[in-house]
Amino acid sequence: MSRPMIRIHNVETDEIIDREMTVAEFKIAETEQTAQETEKAEAATKAATRAALLTRLGISEEEARILLGGN
Amino acid sequence: MPTISNTPRPGYVYDSTDNVWYPIGTGTHSHSEIASTIVDAKGDIIAATAADAVSRLAVGANGTVLTAASGQATGLEWATPSSGGMTLISTTTLSGSSTTLSSIPQTYNSLFLIISRITGNTSNKKLRCLPNNVNNLISQSGTKGNTGQKFDDSYIQLTGDADISRTDIENSWQLLITNYTSSTSFKPFQFSGFFVDQVINPAVNYGGSFRSNTAITSLVFDLEGTNTFAGGTVLLYGVK
Repeated sequence: MSRPMIRIHNVETDEIIDREMTVAEFKIAETEQTAQETEKAEAATKAATRAALLTRLGISEEEARILLGGN
Repeated sequence: MPTISNTPRPGYVYDSTDNVWYPIGTGTHSHSEIASTIVDAKGDIIAATAADAVSRLAVGANGTVLTAASGQATGLEWATPSSGGMTLISTTTLSGSSTTLSSIPQTYNSLFLIISRITGNTSNKKLRCLPNNVNNLISQSGTKGNTGQKFDDSYIQLTGDADISRTDIENSWQLLITNYTSSTSFKPFQFSGFFVDQVINPAVNYGGSFRSNTAITSLVFDLEGTNTFAGGTVLLYGVK
């Protein structure tokens, strides 16, 4: 499988180089991608849990904020 | 001195304070007027070269302005005025997993960027900008929509904590980075813009600093991870 391309634009000479990511660059990008997907999944789970809890309590998001002393 | 009967005779003026008639036209005196022949052409000016010494300074070329110049004989020279304002350095079409603007000239005071019509190929992601490809040196706070946010991050987060809709071209930002050539202090930045995230479609307004004493010579734009740009343009201006 080919790695994603990256673009480097030398703004002084106006030379544009499009090249494949190096193995090291791709590894960093993949690690970041995985971390972000995990983070997003966790955030989605947290939001779903919160929504379910509010439903069980029969209160709105706004009411929960007031209950917890937030503004 | 007037001559009467072949004899030079002075004239007199009466000083009513001293009650004395003083002779005029007698004694020695010198002339120190500047001769008009010192100048040769329209626009020539006369300037001092030292105490009690003058010289001609020829008119400069059209459009030049007179500038103090201690290295010149007259201490002055005609110079081309600084243009000021903004100069378009480059126009870059974003492509690939990241696009780097490299070899940024170090001859301006600030960098001003207009970023627009960003789209992605795979999924909705955050649009980010990384100075010098160096991580963990960005502090940023401001608002996305009506929500305050703060980041201590690797990147300038142009979409805050939101993902830009990858298919929507209705987006644009202006980003100003000042003091970018400094090798002794941090670089403040400020940006504002609008994008579609298919949730609140927020306007964003953030400020912060690139916490590095190294001059900024490159800016990397990406959509996080391995996601690739489908389109987008960055105009890079140098500001005097």
